[in-house]
Amino acid sequence: MAEVRYEAASRLYPGSEIPAVNELNLDIADGELLVLVGPSGSGKSTALRMLAGLETVTSGSIHINDVDVTLKPPQDRDIAMVFQNYALYPSMTVAENMGFALKQAKVSKEQRAEQVREAARILDLEPYLDRKPKNLSGGQRQRVAMGRAIVRSPQVFLMDEPLSNLDAKLRVQTRTELVDLQDRLDTTMVYVTHDQVEAMTMGHRVAVLKDGILQQVASPRELYRRPKNRFVAGFIGSPAMNLLDVDRADGQFALAGTTIELTDEMRAAAAAVDGTTFGVGVRPEHLKFTSSGSGIAGEVSVVEALGSESFLHVKVQHEGREQVLVVHEAGDTELVRGDNVTIVVDGPVHVFSPDGESV
Amino acid sequence: MATAVISHEEEVRRLQRREGWRRRLPILPALLFTIAVTQIPFLFTLFYSLTDWRIDTVDPRQFIGVENYTSLSGDKFFLDAAWVTVKMTVMAVLGSLIVGTGLALLLDRKFFGQGFIRTLLITPFLVMPVVAGFMWKTQMFNATFGVINWVLNTVGIDSIEFATKYPLASVVVVLIWQWSPFMMLIILAGLQGQDASVLEAARVDGATSWGTFRQITFPQLRPFLELGTLLGAIYLIQVYDHIEVIVGGQPGAKNLPFYIAQRSIGGGNRFGLASSYSIIVVIASIIIANIGLRVLSGLLEDDS
Amino acid sequence: MAIFTRAPKAEPILGQNRLVAALLGLLTWFIGLLFFFPLFWLVLNGFKEESVANASPTLIFDPTLDRFSEVTEANSGLLSFAEAFGNSFWIVLISTVLVMILAVPAAYALAIRPMRKWRDVLFFFISTKFLPIVGVIMPIWIIARDLNLLGTRTVLVVLYTAMNLPLAVWMLRSFFAEVPKELIEAAQIDGCSLLGQLRQVILPIVAPGLAATALLCVIFAWNEFFFAIQLNPTGASTMPVWVNSQQKFQGQFLAGLSAASVLATLPVVVAGWVAQKRMIRGLAMGAIK
Repeated sequence: MAEVRYEAASRLYPGSEIPAVNELNLDIADGELLVLVGPSGSGKSTALRMLAGLETVTSGSIHINDVDVTLKPPQDRDIAMVFQNYALYPSMTVAENMGFALKQAKVSKEQRAEQVREAARILDLEPYLDRKPKNLSGGQRQRVAMGRAIVRSPQVFLMDEPLSNLDAKLRVQTRTELVDLQDRLDTTMVYVTHDQVEAMTMGHRVAVLKDGILQQVASPRELYRRPKNRFVAGFIGSPAMNLLDVDRADGQFALAGTTIELTDEMRAAAAAVDGTTFGVGVRPEHLKFTSSGSGIAGEVSVVEALGSESFLHVKVQHEGREQVLVVHEAGDTELVRGDNVTIVVDGPVHVFSPDGESV
Repeated sequence: MATAVISHEEEVRRLQRREGWRRRLPILPALLFTIAVTQIPFLFTLFYSLTDWRIDTVDPRQFIGVENYTSLSGDKFFLDAAWVTVKMTVMAVLGSLIVGTGLALLLDRKFFGQGFIRTLLITPFLVMPVVAGFMWKTQMFNATFGVINWVLNTVGIDSIEFATKYPLASVVVVLIWQWSPFMMLIILAGLQGQDASVLEAARVDGATSWGTFRQITFPQLRPFLELGTLLGAIYLIQVYDHIEVIVGGQPGAKNLPFYIAQRSIGGGNRFGLASSYSIIVVIASIIIANIGLRVLSGLLEDDS
Repeated sequence: MAIFTRAPKAEPILGQNRLVAALLGLLTWFIGLLFFFPLFWLVLNGFKEESVANASPTLIFDPTLDRFSEVTEANSGLLSFAEAFGNSFWIVLISTVLVMILAVPAAYALAIRPMRKWRDVLFFFISTKFLPIVGVIMPIWIIARDLNLLGTRTVLVVLYTAMNLPLAVWMLRSFFAEVPKELIEAAQIDGCSLLGQLRQVILPIVAPGLAATALLCVIFAWNEFFFAIQLNPTGASTMPVWVNSQQKFQGQFLAGLSAASVLATLPVVVAGWVAQKRMIRGLAMGAIK
């Protein structure tokens, strides 16, 4: 039961000019599942490890439940962490692995066994308590790592890409189980992943990092609908948003020769920004094919038919260069490579100022 | 607020300093011990080498500068010993490397009794050098009851007193016998650590056995061969036991370590002069070591 | 854990053809037996009468244990078998224990919590191995003489510790480096002290490596002759010196020397046989990683 607060927390590695995590300000509510997401090198793992006490906070501070833990060693923070490769102690059985932290805390043997059994029951690990990690499957090891964390009932769970070593199917299943578990335990969880699908499906809120700088923190829906900048817009959503550089002419934006309708608000906001080259983004599901003739003309180059939905890559001529727009179609598609099509925008459009901020 | 920030930074620095000591402290005992037993005596040797010190006379040691060194170029015994050292080390290292590679290639296959034969093959490395020396000298090389000469006699060749007639070759044969298993172990580890999928890819691409070996296995083995050469050279440059036992003081096979011991603590008592020989050996070793360490740093590159 | 599994075994390079494979197998057997033959002959000679051993080689003889009892019971005055064996045992044991006490913390510091410039420190340790013994033997002899340590077990304990320490640090570092960093972090988070991490998490993983390293130290120390004969040639000396003393200047001694050699070699050879697989890893894989 805990709130976590990063206050301008930075991590500067010796010999490096740019901080791996740069003045991170982040409030995590009690019982919240917050996902830190970003490409590799974005500082997401470093931020987590700073909270764990495994990385020195070179400036700023970190608080758990209003207690400043910035300088405390990991063991004094009452946190539990699940590592990407699980970090199970190979010489100990599952039960010993799970009870290790309790043993360090001098919990009595009986109580330890009791708590381990309880955690094993929650995670369906009871038959495996006497096995060594090397005799377990990947999924079972992952659950042991989880068990080792929940056995201690810590204030905060820290998860460092805990699902990335599982195969695709198991990953989806475990993802749901993990969300369910967090909900039941109602314990604050900070979850690091590079997979934006994981971030969107799991997080109560998602914090997007790039180059050590927090880009946006919001609910998955908010992040998807109103990305604060071009990076977030491009990073969140699969397939990614169609993002093109567009030169402003007479206060208007044209996509492949077709002027885009903007709301009054956006037009006004864009008018307040100087510069010529803006970014214009449209999500694949907000592009439609039309037979009426007016719209963006293009040629289908790739068809990804997934059965329940289809994604079509369409080559268009935009400002003198060939660009590809991805169009989403519900259900199966009848279009094939080489078909000539016309596209219209049917939904919200995102406009980004020359410096990448959303207008 | 401002003071709080400063104290935090100070605290971070203090913790980092303490962490730094915690990291260094465990090394110190080993480091200090090593310095005390190897580096400091070496400085003494350096000092001795600039004197005319003999411990069998009451004369105090006199500082004579580099005189010991300038006399080396005309010192026939020294030059002989140096040349023997070079020949012995090169022949023994190369020989054991070649034999060891052959053995490793033969062993890296499935056949009946593989484990047993490997056990037999590594045994020479475990044998006490003194014993190896005696065994070869008295029971293999010996002219009257040595097995090699017995075999030669049965095919009609007269007995040869190997240790007297070919002292250097005799010592080198025993060294190769002892060190091939060591090389074999290192190269075997290299062969068994190979990535099978790469070899399969080569086979799919139509490479012959020899082509696969030359183009894929050999480059992968290179660090292991280099490691074997380096470790072998470290030990073989200072061979003493085999020489003492097989050929004793015979000139043709007296290397520098043996000669130095003879001239100083072995009864020669010329501490000043022998020290200058030692320094020469050390310098030569440093040159080899520098080349070797460059190889080793290559090995360590990818695991920071 | 992926870290602990090896790459799949590669196909052999030599011989895909069955006939070739069989011939190569035979060849390997032949070479293996040839390599072992001198030792086999040594053992045979140990069971011979002196008159049989000091004659044209033969396989046909009446085996006797007399040589073994002679060499173990004889007391040439300087060094008896029992003395030499006891000296060797204690000198090797104590120096190996000392090496491990010094090398384990150093290897831990070099591999698990590397400080800046750890490579330089490691290289320093290895480079001392390049310093030929003759580069330091005279001052050591002088110092030992002045401290009245010539002819004592102590001087050999100190020197064997110094002799094996660089190799042990080098090998142990690579074994420690195989311990995943996350494991130690997990232990830290679980509230484990520094000593606890070493004892409960790291040592169980590196135990095979520790054993291989210690064994190699034992082999080198047990077999060492130069220091033993130069600094301690008398009553407090070791097995190699004892074997050397079995070489007589008159009379026949070949069978007795063979018996002595077998006794001196056997402990280390058997230990090496038992631990050979770990040693392969320790020597080569350990050194490369």
